[in-house]
Amino acid sequence: MSADSDMEYSDNDCEYDDYYNSGEDCDVERLDPKKTDPEYFEFVCLTVEEVEKLLNESVEKLNTILEITPSLAKVLLLEHQWDNQVVVDKYRKDANALLITARIKPPNPLLSIPDPLAPSTSKDAVVFGTSSSVSRSSSCSNDDSPRNALISLGICNTYNTVAPGGGIISQRCQMCPVCASSQMGDKFFSLSCGHAFCKDCWSTFFDTQIFQGISTQIGCMAPMCNVRVPEDLVLTLVTRPVMRDKYQQFAFKDYVKSHPQLRFCPGPNCQIIVRSPEVCAKRVICTSCHTSFCFKCGMDYHAPTDCVVIKKWLTKCADDSETANYISANTKDCPKCHICIEKNGGCNHMLCFNCKHDFCWMCLGDWKTHGSEYYECSRYKDNPNIANESVHVQAREALKKYLHYYERWENHSKSLQLEQQTIDRLRDRINEKVMKGRGTWIDWQYLFNAAALLAKCRYTLQYTYPYAYFMESGSRKDLFEYQQAQLEAEIENLSWKIERAETTDLGDLENQMDIAEKRRTTLLKDFFPVDF
Amino acid sequence: MTAPRRLRKELTDLQACGLKSFREINADEENLLRWTGLIVPDNAPYNKGAFRIEINFPAEYPFKPPKIIFKTKIYHPNIDEKGQVCLPIISTENWKPATRTDQVVQALIALINDPEPEHPLRADLAEEYLRDRKRFIKNAEEHTRKNSEKRPTD
Repeated sequence: MSADSDMEYSDNDCEYDDYYNSGEDCDVERLDPKKTDPEYFEFVCLTVEEVEKLLNESVEKLNTILEITPSLAKVLLLEHQWDNQVVVDKYRKDANALLITARIKPPNPLLSIPDPLAPSTSKDAVVFGTSSSVSRSSSCSNDDSPRNALISLGICNTYNTVAPGGGIISQRCQMCPVCASSQMGDKFFSLSCGHAFCKDCWSTFFDTQIFQGISTQIGCMAPMCNVRVPEDLVLTLVTRPVMRDKYQQFAFKDYVKSHPQLRFCPGPNCQIIVRSPEVCAKRVICTSCHTSFCFKCGMDYHAPTDCVVIKKWLTKCADDSETANYISANTKDCPKCHICIEKNGGCNHMLCFNCKHDFCWMCLGDWKTHGSEYYECSRYKDNPNIANESVHVQAREALKKYLHYYERWENHSKSLQLEQQTIDRLRDRINEKVMKGRGTWIDWQYLFNAAALLAKCRYTLQYTYPYAYFMESGSRKDLFEYQQAQLEAEIENLSWKIERAETTDLGDLENQMDIAEKRRTTLLKDFFPVDF
Repeated sequence: MTAPRRLRKELTDLQACGLKSFREINADEENLLRWTGLIVPDNAPYNKGAFRIEINFPAEYPFKPPKIIFKTKIYHPNIDEKGQVCLPIISTENWKPATRTDQVVQALIALINDPEPEHPLRADLAEEYLRDRKRFIKNAEEHTRKNSEKRPTD
């Protein structure tokens, strides 16, 4: 399959793609896998360095077009799924609105400052147009005494003068609202919102936030202010190399997660980032750790089921299985009020706590008719459907349906594991044969191919059950279940033949492999959402 | 360490401003990280009593938020039996280092006076509050009468 290849993704060079595709080892009739293979997917596995380069190219591009700092460009791209064009368009249309939604500027400079004594800066020009998005405030105080007990922790200066560029001109001391110490004005930094805090408080704050894993989302320290701290201020004030590295790692994670074409490989300790031009629920196999996963949602690959449905299914399995089994096995509904009852003692004379109805647990009949002969209650067989009118019966019916699909899903999952053991045994047996001189490794290789194909088919079969569970009844479901049954039958045939490999004829086995794979692709072609 | 200087200042300021609804604010001279105070609510059904709270500041304060515990039992959808209270302004995600304790206390008093049954810590009380307000008020008044502290007379 081409998805397994190391093919480089290139979005403008189609001939190059075709050259590689036709070089693949697929069947002769499948010349264009894009059209014929429902699982065909183009992707490329990148290292961290390659992704950094990719992101930096986007950043530089935006810098050049809009003449803004890299730090600001990163925030804008992060907020717009790394779509340069969208950022440029929005910027040209209404730069102010763009900067507000990206939380670079406060939505309303006056309202966002709850402290009336806090300094304000001019409304524009602080962030962009200059080479740095950090405005250095050097606000002054000539009144250090608390003017009002409750707000004296705020900046005690009321005489800020706003400089044309947005900074605040002053040389004297002011009090930092966070550490409550007076310091020279030039020790203060503020964002476009104008909330000024001392350098030490900013850097301690950054350390605390980074320690909690927060990076691109660090905000201003003032209450109610959601202006974001850009990368350059963080990197200016955080000096410990460990913390700087951590910040950059976390920020990189945020950037990758916000990029629609990029996915971290979910393999344990794998550093690979997968890139694909299309976001669809197709299978990616990491070239480094060989983990296979769905590109769209990052979970185990789940064709023909889609991401939403498989998530629903897995959640349902996690939530329901045990509870549902228990309810099914241990409860009945009150024949009168239909409330669900769990029997908590040995006595079969039940008194419903809800409606106070006396009834027999065995036959669900009225207790009055039992008299003294309840141990010989024979009505159970006579009228086992007495509670059929109950609404809870429907719930139990639903449970039965769920368990039907769940058991098959579970069963195929277990079979997959068991077949892995079959392969291991196969390897031992082949080893033995080769040692005894009955053929070479190469002669027996077809058995491994068969086992791999079996696993692939069974995997798809397993994931047809959640699909069927959530499908609405109708002719399409009938067709689906027909194909599913066909696939299942061929898979069991194949499994049987592999287990008895030595007595099975090679041609027979290959034939069976071909049939099973055909059934699988037919089902996927008909039901797996193909978005080409 | 920033905490002692900031806390001393906040404590002095709070004590000096003489809030009617938050009084008897005390802290150990040794340990400024633990404060106690008396909440005196204005709205029924809590306006017949007063409630002692404890504010615990972490050593990293103000870079990490304080925690509030009710020492007096209170019949309130947003405060559980252990006295824990869910106050967004001091949750880790929302915490801002420049938020002052008086703002936190104001937010707490607002929550006491107007419960938020949409985010309850005690679902049973929230349900009662929404379904049967009269009964809720009666129960809460009864509870306040039995369990709360005396309101200051001035």
